[in-house]
Amino acid sequence: MPLLINRAVTEDSWLLVDEADFSAHLSEDIVVPYELFAEHSEALLSAEGKLGVRINGDQDLNLLLQHLDKLALIAVEFPAFTDGRGFSFARILRRSGFAGQLRAEGDVTRDRLEYMERCGFDAFAIPADRYSDDITSAFGEIPVHYQGCADDERPIFRQ
Amino acid sequence: MYQYNEQDQNLINARVEQYRDQTRRFLAGEIPDEEFRGLRLMNGLYIQRQAPMLRIAVPYGLMNSVQVRKLADITRKYDKNYAHFTTRTNVQLNWPKLEEVPDILAELAEVQMHAIQTSGNCLRNTTTDHFAGVIPDEIEDPRPWCEMIRQWTTLHPEFAYLPRKFKIAVTGGPEDRAASRVHDIGLHLVKNAAGETGFEVLVGGGLGRTPVIGKVIREFLPQQDLLTYLEAILRVYNLNGRRDNKYKARIKILVNALGIDEFRKLVDAEWEIIRRTGLALTDDYIAKIKGYFEPHPYAADAVDGLSVLENQLEDNADFRAWYERNTREHKVAGYRAVVISLKPHLKPPGDITDVQLDAVADLADTYNFGEIRSTHDQNLVFAHVAAGDLYTLWQSLRDLNLARPNIGTLTDMIVCPGFDFCSLANAHTLGVAEKINEKFDDLDYLYDIGDIKLNMSGCINACAHHHVAHIGILGVDKGGEDFYQITLGGSSREDASLGKIIGKAVPQAEVADTIEKILQVYVENRFEDERFIETVRRIGLDPFKERVYATVN
Repeated sequence: MPLLINRAVTEDSWLLVDEADFSAHLSEDIVVPYELFAEHSEALLSAEGKLGVRINGDQDLNLLLQHLDKLALIAVEFPAFTDGRGFSFARILRRSGFAGQLRAEGDVTRDRLEYMERCGFDAFAIPADRYSDDITSAFGEIPVHYQGCADDERPIFRQ
Repeated sequence: MYQYNEQDQNLINARVEQYRDQTRRFLAGEIPDEEFRGLRLMNGLYIQRQAPMLRIAVPYGLMNSVQVRKLADITRKYDKNYAHFTTRTNVQLNWPKLEEVPDILAELAEVQMHAIQTSGNCLRNTTTDHFAGVIPDEIEDPRPWCEMIRQWTTLHPEFAYLPRKFKIAVTGGPEDRAASRVHDIGLHLVKNAAGETGFEVLVGGGLGRTPVIGKVIREFLPQQDLLTYLEAILRVYNLNGRRDNKYKARIKILVNALGIDEFRKLVDAEWEIIRRTGLALTDDYIAKIKGYFEPHPYAADAVDGLSVLENQLEDNADFRAWYERNTREHKVAGYRAVVISLKPHLKPPGDITDVQLDAVADLADTYNFGEIRSTHDQNLVFAHVAAGDLYTLWQSLRDLNLARPNIGTLTDMIVCPGFDFCSLANAHTLGVAEKINEKFDDLDYLYDIGDIKLNMSGCINACAHHHVAHIGILGVDKGGEDFYQITLGGSSREDASLGKIIGKAVPQAEVADTIEKILQVYVENRFEDERFIETVRRIGLDPFKERVYATVN
């Protein structure tokens, strides 16, 4: 699954772990599912390696907001391209000061990349069958923004 | 009216090219059907029963003559020489080709028009009062605020994949000609005790399968907070609205489930965080946008036309009938607002031909400062016609079959296209509308019945707002046959109410007769000068039920 970070294809340096194997990888950079984080947050937050959490729209963003300074990656799942909750998650995370990698996962395809980036995502895990080399031309298709966005909070009337 | 600057133009030009590429990739098999559906809907393109349908945005119902001429041209070049105005004051083409839509959009962009967000689960076209800026009792012209909302909603990156569609209506004062109480958000310009202008905000109104009257979420919102507050509502909705069932996904369901007080708490908590951000409106921006809606250069000597007009009214009964039914007061002496009826005898409501469009554009240039408005009940308005011009304008409109003196009467119906065109519809509507037109063609009878609102939808999605009509007709399918359920007592105005079903649905052939019986009960029971809706409210449904469902002896 190709991974774009800051519009460039990048090797994924993170390891996705689960309930069974997370304790063996606490010194590495790991991404854990939300439930695992909720249950073992103390151990995970004090681990040696960098920590990432994967969340979806049904889960409680507030838990992550309490620990933003300790999180280096947040992966937001889009179970379907029609599920727009992840856009608001991104906006809230960025305005709350989250400076780590914000990764869009799941049904993440070309025609939503620009909006996702404007909301604060900087990483995109694209399903292999929907990836093409010219996919990055989706960024910047619309050069004018009426609304403020994560990289420029000014709406058109303050630009 | 608002004029695009370079940025606005760049935006819609880029959007055309973006959509062109999306269409190309779809036709090349690179975008799955379901995903392209989402993309084309967000750009107003439906796939209908017979052909695609393209819905073109008319922001807050305001157009100029150049735009209307372009519409005429497009219907000739890409469609079947007519267009259809909708209850969101938009305009639809019923026969475009999917492959040609990008070219249509490119032509529209030349005249500052587009199809952005005219469908799909996103922020839709904002609507307002079609007499905005000309009615005497308005607090303030709502259109500058509509324009600010238009800019904020256009290609909003966070709210393009909402649980369901989202509609906002704005009124300039206490009178409500925009059906704002049955919108996801209704905004009313009001003054507070200190004399400051702001908004009363309603949320959670809507029609469709579950009609609901909106609830007041905020009695007074300072004007500079307009967009921060809207954004707070939208964010709460985007995060909490149901996504498991499209019939329970509108904001009205969320507001009802949480209760308005709990919903307000969530909105206020979000609003507190964003209220003082850059999204707060600046005085400069407000002034700049208002500058586009300055009054037209009205002629000081327009009042001189009043005496001529008086003679013309006296001499010509047909002209007088049109004047009384189809024109309204204007706040500037010597001017009238004229409603152009798109409800001619035996033609689909809201339809207009290329020839009529061109002629309307020319007439607007001659008599109305080049301005044309579309109304939520599917007519057009020339809002500023000098008294001395009314007679010649009427003659021209009459020659174009656009002067039927039926505004506000029974035959000024809102009717959706129904089964003939729409793939959602369960029943035909156009044929029934025709039957009603045939039966009630007598003007004296229509004038005697007076102000009445009849709306007809071809399915429970209620596109023609039948729930809020004085007489609502809903087409249903019963074992392959069209039946029609009738409701009475609805209103979309400041006294908004939902109509109640009077009994079992009637077959197609009996609809017009049933309406006649209902009107008989009204005529027999009304007090002098009592409108239909008032009589229904006073005497209740029983007398109507008894007459309609009486067993024949």
